Amino acid sequence: MTDGYDVRGALPGDAVDALPRGTNAVIVGPAMTGKRDLALQLLAAGFDDDEGVLTITTDGTVDVQDFERHVPGIDPDRIGILDCSGKDGGSHRNGVRRSVSSPGDLTGISISVAKQLKALETADVSGIRYGLVSISTLLQFLDVQTVFKFLHVFTARVEDTGGLGVYTLSEDAHDPQAVNTILGQFDTVLRIRETDAGDRELQVRGGGSAPTPWMPFPYPSNTTP
Amino acid sequence: MTDDPPLVVIVEDEPAVAEGYQLWLEGEYRTRVATDGGEALEVIDEEADVVMLDRMMPDMAGEEVLAELRARGLDVGVVMVTAVEPDFDVIEMGFDAYITKPPDRDELLQVIEQLAERSALSDELQEYYSLMARKGTLEAEKTRAELEESDAYDELVERIDEQQEEVDGTLGDVGEEAEFVDVARDLFGEPETEELKDATGEEP
Repeated sequence: MTDGYDVRGALPGDAVDALPRGTNAVIVGPAMTGKRDLALQLLAAGFDDDEGVLTITTDGTVDVQDFERHVPGIDPDRIGILDCSGKDGGSHRNGVRRSVSSPGDLTGISISVAKQLKALETADVSGIRYGLVSISTLLQFLDVQTVFKFLHVFTARVEDTGGLGVYTLSEDAHDPQAVNTILGQFDTVLRIRETDAGDRELQVRGGGSAPTPWMPFPYPSNTTP
Repeated sequence: MTDDPPLVVIVEDEPAVAEGYQLWLEGEYRTRVATDGGEALEVIDEEADVVMLDRMMPDMAGEEVLAELRARGLDVGVVMVTAVEPDFDVIEMGFDAYITKPPDRDELLQVIEQLAERSALSDELQEYYSLMARKGTLEAEKTRAELEESDAYDELVERIDEQQEEVDGTLGDVGEEAEFVDVARDLFGEPETEELKDATGEEP
């Protein structure tokens, strides 16, 4: 795992095999085009026994089972879920799941992430994959500049610790200026678009190499059952 | 964003004590002195980075001054200087730190430095956001070819790189959980989630 996070199978063809340590990758596209699922694929594909995964779910829909389905036999001690949908009420701990009362509680989210990391680190992890699904929900609760600042600190943390960050952003819910400003925080952008014929395509930009061509998405081999 | 040393406002009704603080802060900081709460509210403005606020003043309690500063939305770190160890949660009251009188020189300098750095982070991050928002707007309005032609865009990108370095230099080691939590508190305030109010991020 020294040369990065194996994400083989998450992306079409041989486009991207691995993402270097410290990568912050955002998935952006219209609503309902498979961004959440792609994020889960990137968090789970090629998951090494000695890694950990910590996902912030702003609507409470990401669950431990999502990882158990993608990574058969995954040790639950290596999974952390932070539910900030507010649907769980206040903060409590239930196995690998923690919660804060609202997506707008950025300090609460940060404290819970720190606590969860402490718990994961007791399992002696070599690297952590962080998920944030989705930035769009944060933008419904907070203004662009506050979300921007939070993402700056969060991505800096992922970078400093050699983690992998995977984020989703629904672009049609926000104005293009705001979307561009937010995207500026990420070193890798995975963009999903719909063609006039209604097919979906994916392009990967950043990570130090030239943009990939637009590729059909999702690719038949690894859609979620 | 200026490169002037941080500005510390000393609010203290005993001139000799205020002067003592000024001597300690000399060189590293600019200082202003106010001798009561009313004067404090006159001299504390956007420029101030840190306020040392005496808790007991003849005209106004430190808490009242603090409440007014927060009501004005001033982004300034406030240290309460108090004769007695407070038996209540000063952080809950909105103070960023407290020092008991008479303060220890090193302790005071350490607290001031920490608060000045926080204030700098908030300013620098705000400036970085403004630049990035400008870039985001240009990118939404112009074609890629137009941007490549534009000197103003080039210059903006260059300023963004410099500003990002500034921010990340001030950000500290957010790879450390405790530091990450401190930064979040400084930027976004206390957690809303009731059970996390006293959390430091240090305990498991």
